[in-house]
Amino acid sequence: MSVFRHFSRKLVLNTFKSDIKLQINTHCSVCLRFLSYQPIHYDGKPDPGPVFIKKEVQTLLRTLTRVDLAKVFKKRRFGETQLQQPVYKFMTDEQLQEAYEEAKKKVDTFLQIPPVVAVRKPKDKVLSKDPALQGLDTSAFVFTDISYGVRDSERMILVRETDGTLREADWETRDRINQLYFPVAQRQIQTPKMFQDSNLEDLLKRGEYNFILDRACLQFDPNDPLYQKIVSITYQCVNDNNHFNELRSTRHFGSFVFFLAWNKLIDNLLLDIIESEHIEEAKALVELYSHIHQVKYESKENLQQIDEYIKNHASKKAALELAFQAYKNAAKRKGEVEEGIKRAHGLS
Amino acid sequence: MLVPSSGTGQYAALSAKIIRFVRHGCTNRPFFHIVVAERRREQFEPVIEQVGSYDPMPNERNEKLVSLNLERIAYWLGNGADCTKPVQELLGLSGFLPIHPLSYMAAWKNRQAAEAAVVEEKPEGDHK
Repeated sequence: MSVFRHFSRKLVLNTFKSDIKLQINTHCSVCLRFLSYQPIHYDGKPDPGPVFIKKEVQTLLRTLTRVDLAKVFKKRRFGETQLQQPVYKFMTDEQLQEAYEEAKKKVDTFLQIPPVVAVRKPKDKVLSKDPALQGLDTSAFVFTDISYGVRDSERMILVRETDGTLREADWETRDRINQLYFPVAQRQIQTPKMFQDSNLEDLLKRGEYNFILDRACLQFDPNDPLYQKIVSITYQCVNDNNHFNELRSTRHFGSFVFFLAWNKLIDNLLLDIIESEHIEEAKALVELYSHIHQVKYESKENLQQIDEYIKNHASKKAALELAFQAYKNAAKRKGEVEEGIKRAHGLS
Repeated sequence: MLVPSSGTGQYAALSAKIIRFVRHGCTNRPFFHIVVAERRREQFEPVIEQVGSYDPMPNERNEKLVSLNLERIAYWLGNGADCTKPVQELLGLSGFLPIHPLSYMAAWKNRQAAEAAVVEEKPEGDHK
């Protein structure tokens, strides 16, 4: 098994190396390092929202998240502020079980997957043009309707330009004004500096994926092109470096997997899953792929479906086949050993 | 007793209401609340309700920010409240009311002044 693993990993690494060499040949050396990741937006053709919100897809994403309570409730760094001191208690077994049940209920709120939606369309509706108002003022007026009970996305925000045009405010202005009059806690009016290309590159190099994704979730709406740019670059970085465990058991893993499946990039993840022998997840991943791309597998059995995916749709066929074969051999041997033990105990 | 600047909600039933500015902010830094008040009241007396705000100093993006609670403004206008001219001008620019004639006049005057300034500058340029 370990030999197979070694081989498959080597294969993947080699394919990466060839990729990098190609980039060196084609691009200039300056834009090679970080900008080799092109941002990938959900451009709405087709719209990912309805697929993402399907119940089956949500269940699959939850399965793939591989919930680990210790990781969900791990210590978090909040800087200076200390929220609460932990309380240690003596409990009976039943009480402990109850406490676990309580904790499991809380997990859902921690692991809410950020929604996946198409990128928003620009707002440029002109309501009226009045050249007679030219020269009234040297600055534009921004009018905000602050009527009670209107959602941020539906609030009326208009701009009277200096040339007398009355138009809808663009998204950037809308975000700023909404945050000004109806602030979301911890969100900043200006885009934080960490999202600038050079700083983001540094963060990615240090592997601070959760920090980037958490902050992006807080700062932007999910249909913001900047959000989708940052998130897609981070996802690609995680995928290329095989740092899947960083995102597992966090709320971001669901949308990460959805992103990979949507862009047909699941091979690295599938290899990782098969190598770590979580075959249930491999099935879920292949099924998710079929949901998104309307692929119909001929066989009903799950293992054969994985085989079929590897044969027909995978781009890293050799490595995946090797790993899958290794898994099958290991599983077979395991079965034989178990059978032997049973026989030795006289059970069959 | 201190009263909230967002208004007390108390008024005489038959009194005349007016939508107007109240100057908040401080010296050299004007900031206006747009409020519904009884006409007979002084500027800094308790108001009925705040329905918006107006920042006359442009921000770093050269924008003047105006917020209007259009739902409540419509309600008070429907109840026979009056508006002061500056408020009418703002509501006109926002597209809620027709544009006030004073806005057109001010724009026209500013354009005239700008043209006159250009004409004045030209002869000086010729001398050089």
